[in-house]
Amino acid sequence: MKEQLKKAKAIIEGYDGPAVRVMEVCGTHTHEIFHLGVRKILPPQVELISGPGCPVCVTPAGFIDEAIWLALEKNVTICTFGDLVRVPGSTRSLADARSLGGKIQMVYSPMDAFEYAKEHKDEQVVFLSVGFETTTPASCLSVKMAKEAGLTNYALLAANKTMPGAYEMLKDSADVFLYPGHVNAITGNALNRKLCEEGGISGIVTGFTASEILTAFAVLLKKFPEGKPFFVNAYPRVVTEEGSIPAQKLIKEWMEPCDSQWRGLGMIKNSGLRLRKEAQDFDARVKFSIPKMEGRTSPACRCGDVLQGKCRPTDCKVFGKGCTPLHPIGACMVSNEGACSAYYQYNSRGE
Amino acid sequence: MDNLKGKTVSLAHGAGGKQTSELIDQVFKAHFANPELTSDDAAVLKMKEGKIAFTTDGFIVSPSEFPGGNIGKLSICGTVNDLSCMGAKPLYLSCAFVIEEGFPMEKLEAIAAAMEKTANEAGVKIVAGDTKVAGKGQVDGVFITTTGIGEIQEGVETSGFMAKPGDAVIVSGDIGRHGCTILLAREDFGIDADVTSDCAPLWGTVQDILSVTKDVHVIRDATRGGVGTVLYEIAEQSKTGIRLNAEAIPVQDSVKGVCGMLGLEPLYLACEGRLVIFAPKENAEAIVAKLREGKYSSEAAIIGEVTEEMPGRVVVTTEIGAETLLPPPGGELLPRIC
Repeated sequence: MKEQLKKAKAIIEGYDGPAVRVMEVCGTHTHEIFHLGVRKILPPQVELISGPGCPVCVTPAGFIDEAIWLALEKNVTICTFGDLVRVPGSTRSLADARSLGGKIQMVYSPMDAFEYAKEHKDEQVVFLSVGFETTTPASCLSVKMAKEAGLTNYALLAANKTMPGAYEMLKDSADVFLYPGHVNAITGNALNRKLCEEGGISGIVTGFTASEILTAFAVLLKKFPEGKPFFVNAYPRVVTEEGSIPAQKLIKEWMEPCDSQWRGLGMIKNSGLRLRKEAQDFDARVKFSIPKMEGRTSPACRCGDVLQGKCRPTDCKVFGKGCTPLHPIGACMVSNEGACSAYYQYNSRGE
Repeated sequence: MDNLKGKTVSLAHGAGGKQTSELIDQVFKAHFANPELTSDDAAVLKMKEGKIAFTTDGFIVSPSEFPGGNIGKLSICGTVNDLSCMGAKPLYLSCAFVIEEGFPMEKLEAIAAAMEKTANEAGVKIVAGDTKVAGKGQVDGVFITTTGIGEIQEGVETSGFMAKPGDAVIVSGDIGRHGCTILLAREDFGIDADVTSDCAPLWGTVQDILSVTKDVHVIRDATRGGVGTVLYEIAEQSKTGIRLNAEAIPVQDSVKGVCGMLGLEPLYLACEGRLVIFAPKENAEAIVAKLREGKYSSEAAIIGEVTEEMPGRVVVTTEIGAETLLPPPGGELLPRIC
């Protein structure tokens, strides 16, 4: 084991301070924390809560319903990240829509969707634009390129989200937030500093390797007992104070804030992004006049409580029974980065 | 072969008449010729006394050509390796082709050439074959089935039921390259990385192991499902636990990178030229040292051990020194890889 890892591990294992609730906001952190076995070395008074930072997990059922409607009623080719295909909508998933003849194309990035549209001019193509500050710039770029290429068969169904509103809403769910390094690499740290100074919300930005994650825990366990709100950038090799200006510009140029529905959390003010009026030719909701869809989720599923740290995945009645990665009821069971999926795969039922 | 240029396989090539003979003569016999391959209904073979190993495998990989090989090479390696894992010297193979109407002759010839080369390397003869042509869209390109017979070497007994607490778990090289190569070759992801399939015939590698000791409990080739799936199978069959050391598992950086981007676990990516070996701990270092001299096993490593506790489970000691469960193999939707 590397020296730095050993040191961080010793600090964590030796923590004898007060009880602390840490929320990892990002799905990639959730996955890595399980993968590395971080929970196994935490002292019992350190509680880890998996927050709402997996884009698939917070995508509302109504959004899936809209996509299915486009595929089945309007014969639109849906380009999507693979994870979304199995997320349950109100009555069915995109995988079900595919078996009913809907054309669902898996892509790895919005640029692939743009390329697909360019090569298939006889099809109407819609990219399911979900995700946080990290993926939004690429969605915007695909629209920009589609416009420059004169494409009339490409549009976004946008459900992009931004983190600030969620932090605000979740501030009582945890004592310290583990902020997602990739988001801050785009947005910079101004907001997190403001949350700390004005809202008293503590947090630490970190990366995704073993030593980055353990270092973050070591730092926060040193800082927390001091009793003062703190903000630390523990990922300076990637995260700068101002973030990525070109990416921020790109988002501003094509998108504007809007209220947004989060699966499990409900409507959060100004927590979403939609295409600007000037770009509405590329807005699937305008282009295809999609009817309003409320979206219903299974009443048995407690994903909402899980995302807010009100319960653990294992407290949910359907966890591991009706709801498994192959047959998910809730979105947190679908993505590899979802809290329920991680609990299930790493067999933490009794934890 | 210039006379094949621009030509394609037609339904007539599969009808049994003159064109069938042409296809067989020009493509298959040209590459597979040997005294035992005759025009009779079956090959007549002489076997030594003792135990034989007998196995069959179908290949439907898409795309049929990929960096590091093609479906032809794969179809020989697959069966040769299955025999080798039982401690059996591969002797004879049969191969059956189902070819889609319209398949380019030149491609078919390249596949046969790869089969010839790989069979020669493995010291195995193709002694029987069959060709069928299916209508457009009924198969995707070409499907191949190979069946093989091998002679089990004296004093060797391997089986997935034989892992014992105290055994070391060895892999014969870095893992996951074939699965990763096929994922990238399918171009579904728009990712470029320098990865070549590990596809290779492994009888020589098995001989290397047996030259050190015949006291080997399990040899498996980690094909579909990768090393992780093999480990779970063996843990289940032998009713033992397995503990892996994450830091000891050899994975090429490019494979790690692709796995990171796609959220895949290298332990669950297919290999087509990697063995998982269970042998008593005291011989493990010597086996690895010998393997590291070999052409296809220079990255061999001890990656873990067999334990009494937690039978049926595979746990991993992670790089932070914590112990986690290796998530059991799931029904992940991965493309056709073998």
